[in-house]
Amino acid sequence: MNQIQLLADAVSLGSIYALVALGIGLIFGVMRMINFAHGDLIMLGAYALVLPTAADFAPPLIGAWPAVAMIAAIIAIVAFAALLTERFAFRPLRRREVDGATLLISSFAISYLLQSIVLFVHTGRPKSVSIFPALMRQVELAGIRISLVDVVTVAATALLLLALGVFLRRARPGLEVRAAAEDFIMARLLGVKADRVIALAFALSGGLAGVVSLLYVSKTGVLDFQMGVPLAVAGFVGTVVGGMGSLLGAVLGGFALGVASTLLQALLPEALQPSRDAFLYGLVILVLFFRPQGLFAPRAMGERI
Amino acid sequence: MIPRTMRPFFPALGLIAVLAAICAIVHLMGNGELEGILTEALIYMVMVVALSIFVSNSGVISFGHVTFALIGAYASAWQTCCSGIRGVFMPGLPEFLLHADVPIIPASVAAALTATAVAAIAGLIIMRLSSVAASIALLSLLFVFKTIYENWSSMTAGQSSLVGLPLYVDLWAALAWVAVTIVAAQIYMSSAHGLRLRAAREDEVAARAAGIVVWRERLIAFAISAFFFAIGGILFGHFLGTLAVSIFWLNMTFLTLAMLVVGGLRSLTGAVAGTLVVAAVRGFLRALEQGIHIGGATLQVPQGMQEITLAVVLLLILVYRPQGIIGDRELGLAAAK
Amino acid sequence: MLLEVDDLEIRYGRVPAVRDVSFSVGEGEIVCFVGPNGAGKSTTMLAVAGVLHPAKGAIRFDARPLDGNAIETIVANGIALVPEGRRIFGRMSVRENLAVASGLRGGLGRTGGALDRVLELFPILRERYQSPAGFLSGGEQQQLAIARALLTQPRLLVVDEPSLGLAPKYVELVFETFSRIRSEGVTLLIVEQSVRRALKFADRVYFLRSGRIVLEGSASTLAERTDLEHIYFGEESRP
Repeated sequence: MNQIQLLADAVSLGSIYALVALGIGLIFGVMRMINFAHGDLIMLGAYALVLPTAADFAPPLIGAWPAVAMIAAIIAIVAFAALLTERFAFRPLRRREVDGATLLISSFAISYLLQSIVLFVHTGRPKSVSIFPALMRQVELAGIRISLVDVVTVAATALLLLALGVFLRRARPGLEVRAAAEDFIMARLLGVKADRVIALAFALSGGLAGVVSLLYVSKTGVLDFQMGVPLAVAGFVGTVVGGMGSLLGAVLGGFALGVASTLLQALLPEALQPSRDAFLYGLVILVLFFRPQGLFAPRAMGERI
Repeated sequence: MIPRTMRPFFPALGLIAVLAAICAIVHLMGNGELEGILTEALIYMVMVVALSIFVSNSGVISFGHVTFALIGAYASAWQTCCSGIRGVFMPGLPEFLLHADVPIIPASVAAALTATAVAAIAGLIIMRLSSVAASIALLSLLFVFKTIYENWSSMTAGQSSLVGLPLYVDLWAALAWVAVTIVAAQIYMSSAHGLRLRAAREDEVAARAAGIVVWRERLIAFAISAFFFAIGGILFGHFLGTLAVSIFWLNMTFLTLAMLVVGGLRSLTGAVAGTLVVAAVRGFLRALEQGIHIGGATLQVPQGMQEITLAVVLLLILVYRPQGIIGDRELGLAAAK
Repeated sequence: MLLEVDDLEIRYGRVPAVRDVSFSVGEGEIVCFVGPNGAGKSTTMLAVAGVLHPAKGAIRFDARPLDGNAIETIVANGIALVPEGRRIFGRMSVRENLAVASGLRGGLGRTGGALDRVLELFPILRERYQSPAGFLSGGEQQQLAIARALLTQPRLLVVDEPSLGLAPKYVELVFETFSRIRSEGVTLLIVEQSVRRALKFADRVYFLRSGRIVLEGSASTLAERTDLEHIYFGEESRP
């Protein structure tokens, strides 16, 4: 197989997984909860592109809008959906100070609810959809031929990471998110409003999910009500491997997982290829055995007396 | 109310007695459909009680137990299904399985033990992780096995259905296994291992300081729990008569967790009660989806409302009564554990 | 009385950690809580700050009931807690740590001189302004923790074990600063390990043991007693 295309695929998938892991890591950072519904938010964004039908080829809804409007709309819709889940499910739970296990189950319940709703509206048949068909062609970059969609994916990811990094470092709300992620109670004791910070984390997470919807659907062209699950699992695993509680760890972990997954796909003999995930997650389990805190866990800052 | 000497046998004895009574009543009613619904509920109950052996005592939520139902069900099929044409569905089966005709109980036990072996191996690592990481790892485990089984066509018929499993699971077979599982759960709960694990659930640091090896206690509960969950999967397969890998995925995961949570994450009585309640709600919703005729009118909801309603019910319980219907209490015992 | 606490009971699960605790802090006072480890001092402070919710009892700040309120409300009303262990944001710089706290009253640029006053109280923070807080020494971190709390412009500053793990020179500095803070109109409620230091700095002292108040009084009166050690450790029956 073309080595360059393989590398492009690896980096492209790595980018997608990095974005997913980041979305999950943001919420984990402030709430110490893994949001199982994250993958389904991505799915929601994808389905918002089309009209509800039982047909095999879904007539586009937002998918037919001009590019900029489509992108803005999908990102807004998913961010809004994320905020809805925060407001109507997670906030009441936080008010009652439920334990971590209950939060986890709740996010799973929301995930199931979102899938059930989409199943209800769109039926379970996978649909094909075409957005940004222009991205599917090949381009020449420095004398090398690669798919445009991969280039866009990597570029968009890099830009988003940069923007988010700047936001977290420089903006006031970003400062509060970082403080809350490091020590939530202490941040509140200094006047940071819990509700605002968490809502912000959900909005950012939802926005990231919206971007992934677009990138993923551009590349694969398929909608399925359970399409979010493999992405979510990759995101969770990336977060755990990277080191929970570290946003950079989540990004690196997700990226590493995506790259490893693609390379493994190419390296495994044909017969074993469907078991690629088994190998991959087996590898992850091994990593966790030797480093349960994750590969890129933040080093604790020492104190000098 | 319960005499002192009888206490150690509760809630197990009480629960089994109540369930037996329900079965007797339904059987005497002679309604085949109702009996079928109850049988299915009892099969789920085996899984939910099994799940509670791990979840209630360790406090770790497992999203991956259905893996063991999957492994168990297919392992049982390998030994018992499709009389004569097994090789047609699963050409890759090794010789000794291709023509084996194992009696159902040894087949079930052997199949469940296979699942338990997988649980033990995976658990060696997963049980050392933090609760959240473990929960995710368990979901990943299910994901991995689902993918493997879907592609292992030579051994599992891949994504197609496997038909021809012997249909030996009736109301009484299910009840019998429920009784065994409940007794096992009770024995574990009252054992030193159960006590140690619950201590670790309350305060892991203190438990470690007291010399409890937390990951080992978790592993023991996990293995026992996996065995019985596999039994549940096996019963399911021999109740339906057909198997498909897709049965053992998110729907089953959600249902079993919902049944446990609705009843109460922390008690055996909760596991039993929650299963009955959710099964009843499900039965009602299924009837509604098919249309209930009252007088001259038909009350009907569209297909798919079942899952949506159950998800909403679970969320409401989580917000308004996170300890479940039963909470901490056990049938027949005055104070909470 | 600025802060009034009546019959406070706080439970961890079903176990009461603090029981029948009643105390008050008057405006402008320095009040100290002393007692052995596990006596319930930190638990009580966490309840005052709203981190823990009492099972029974009432907390009133400025005659208005406070128990059951969210942390955010309590901070906005003027109670700031410097918890045990300092809990500075190690991955953020000193400046950023201060910036987080200043948000309540308008941000670093609009503290109306509060930032300057705080940097004047703790000059070392101005020196280490851009350093990651995790690189500061224990004593410097304690100063940062107090400075942060002060930026929320509290009327009552609650400090839990400020001298824990600190070199003596820092302890001196911190307590001197407390006197200066008090003279600027902030009331202080301090949890202290050393009875001697408490009696030296405080106006009034409460002894806590096993979740209950076993002795209270003005520092000057208590200083004349000879049985304080016994009360602290619970050895009243000593001959």
